[in-house]
Amino acid sequence: MRIRALHTEGFRIAAIFVVIFALSAAILAGVTIVIVDDELRNQIVQYANSDIAGVKDGYRTGGEREAAEVVEQRLVLPGSSDFVVLERGGKTKLAGNMAPMPPQLGVLNLPDPGGRKDHAILGVGTFITPDLYVFSGSDLYRAQQARQRILRTLVWVFAGALALALAGGFAASRSFLNRTDEIVKTCRAIMAGNLASRIPLRGTEDELDRLCDTINAMLDRIAALMDNVSQITNDIAHDLRTPVTHLRHRLERARLQASSSEEYDQALEAAILASDDILRLFSALLRIAQIEGGVRKSAFAPLDINQLLSQLGDVFGPVAEDARHHLRLSLYGRTIILGDRELLTQLFSNLIENAILHTPESTLVSVKLRREEDELIATVRDDGPGVPPEEHEKLFRRFYRREASRSHPGYGLGLALVAAIAELHGARMTIDSGPMQGFSISFRLQLAKA
Amino acid sequence: MKILLIEDDPETAEHVCHALRAQGHDVDESQTGPDGLMRARAGQHAVLIVDRMLPGLDGLSLVRQLREEGGQTPVLFLTTMSGIDDRVAGLNSGGDDYLTKPFALAELVARVNAIARRRDTQPPVTFKAGDLEMDLLRRTVHRGGRAIELQPQEFRLLEYLLRNTGRLVTRNMLLENVWDLHFDPRTNIVETHMSRLRSKMDRGFDTELIHTIRGNGYILRAD
Repeated sequence: MRIRALHTEGFRIAAIFVVIFALSAAILAGVTIVIVDDELRNQIVQYANSDIAGVKDGYRTGGEREAAEVVEQRLVLPGSSDFVVLERGGKTKLAGNMAPMPPQLGVLNLPDPGGRKDHAILGVGTFITPDLYVFSGSDLYRAQQARQRILRTLVWVFAGALALALAGGFAASRSFLNRTDEIVKTCRAIMAGNLASRIPLRGTEDELDRLCDTINAMLDRIAALMDNVSQITNDIAHDLRTPVTHLRHRLERARLQASSSEEYDQALEAAILASDDILRLFSALLRIAQIEGGVRKSAFAPLDINQLLSQLGDVFGPVAEDARHHLRLSLYGRTIILGDRELLTQLFSNLIENAILHTPESTLVSVKLRREEDELIATVRDDGPGVPPEEHEKLFRRFYRREASRSHPGYGLGLALVAAIAELHGARMTIDSGPMQGFSISFRLQLAKA
Repeated sequence: MKILLIEDDPETAEHVCHALRAQGHDVDESQTGPDGLMRARAGQHAVLIVDRMLPGLDGLSLVRQLREEGGQTPVLFLTTMSGIDDRVAGLNSGGDDYLTKPFALAELVARVNAIARRRDTQPPVTFKAGDLEMDLLRRTVHRGGRAIELQPQEFRLLEYLLRNTGRLVTRNMLLENVWDLHFDPRTNIVETHMSRLRSKMDRGFDTELIHTIRGNGYILRAD
């Protein structure tokens, strides 16, 4: 069976640290052993040298007898060597606790006289006279033991660290796994169709909490977009049924009732107009979708909004007059902004047309441009019956049509298009209207940098 | 007039061919981009009608290549209704006009006629139609020797009608070319300005120069 906690990033990191710790502990132990060993050997050699110096002194003052005396004294004195021997001719032992041995000079390593394991003798041998030889040395057993103690300590420390690292790594992995399991579970639930699922947060504000929070926010955004899409799909399905049904009725009636080719002609003419209407509705929806998709940003260029509005004034002035409205322009002077001329023309045309079409005769429609620091405020206002505030937001929805405007042809897409164009230009839109207070809509546009 | 139609959709092709032949035009057909380009290179056609989406070589590339090689034949692009950037892209690649499917056949015929003579010699500075005279340099209009005062918008409208004397101009052609409006207005912009122009130009004269073709558009005729 695979233990999942072992296959996590947290555990992998813990394992890497264990290896690093083991390596550094081994280096530390090696260095310690070398230093301690060296120190002990130095000490042994020092003891031996001081023994030999004592024996030499004894010989100078009292000959062989005195030297032998010093050897016996030294053997019981603390802080001196374990083994000393004074011999003559390499065979006769004069004093000491070792068997006589063939004389060798300098620092010597000798096997343990008793042949015990882990024991060996380190010492110094020298001639006092050409015939008289002395050796002093100590058991290396203590050095050996110190080395073993250091090694043993290291093994224990290492074992402890390993256990701690394993336990810690395991615990961290488990907790991490629990969190990721929650994420996985939520994602699976969403894939299975439960779109409202969200990852629970712990409130610890750690990196995982932040990740989960971001994922949740992303899910919210996607859900909102999907709602929007399904809303639009419903709207299209619903609003398209009406004109298509009308078209069908008209054709059916023509088949049943038309009796002359003239009547057939009329029915066909009406059917073509009705299908044109449906296609127009499609183009309008597509246009909004494309503008919302931001494709037109590439067509942005510097343009004089003052000139654009003044042209629209020339175009719509006579139209307003014929509809017994007044169109008044109050412009600012040459004002360059960055934008899409075609779309901005459509935006303001839409608003001017709305003001002409949805207000009673002799309404004043004014288009105003003014500057406020770096911003340009373009306002289209009418002094018609106005729109109550609770309806303001709905105005920009696709297919929303006010009760009062249902008698006019249209699909309720005009202001949705206006909103999309304004959004594309980063223009903040404000509405000021209420019953009997007229209707005013303003856009704050950034002036292009000169 | 000899016209080359490069269109891969058989139904649209038949629809368009039928309408153009009914007008007395001679129509060649091509279904693919490379084949269309090859025929267009021969330079025997007065107008090319090019679909934007073609197998082998798309319409934009076809026209761009033709223009690079020095081909001067006027081009009318056809497109489905997708893509609001299409019009600008089409004109930039060397097209002369642009029509979105579905279109009324009268609209297509009117636009073909309008672009067929656009690449005429030098653009004129004066127009004459019957007893009507327009001087583009002096910005004056006279009819029967009497000066007629026109607003700038009315002047541009009359200028466009005069440039297309004897040919049908549709509502959409006027919106695009006179007022630079590329969408369907909900108010009667064209009718309003047209009626003002007519009241200044035709009122008090025996013959009307501007005629309404019901459901299709307008035509300025001198006879």
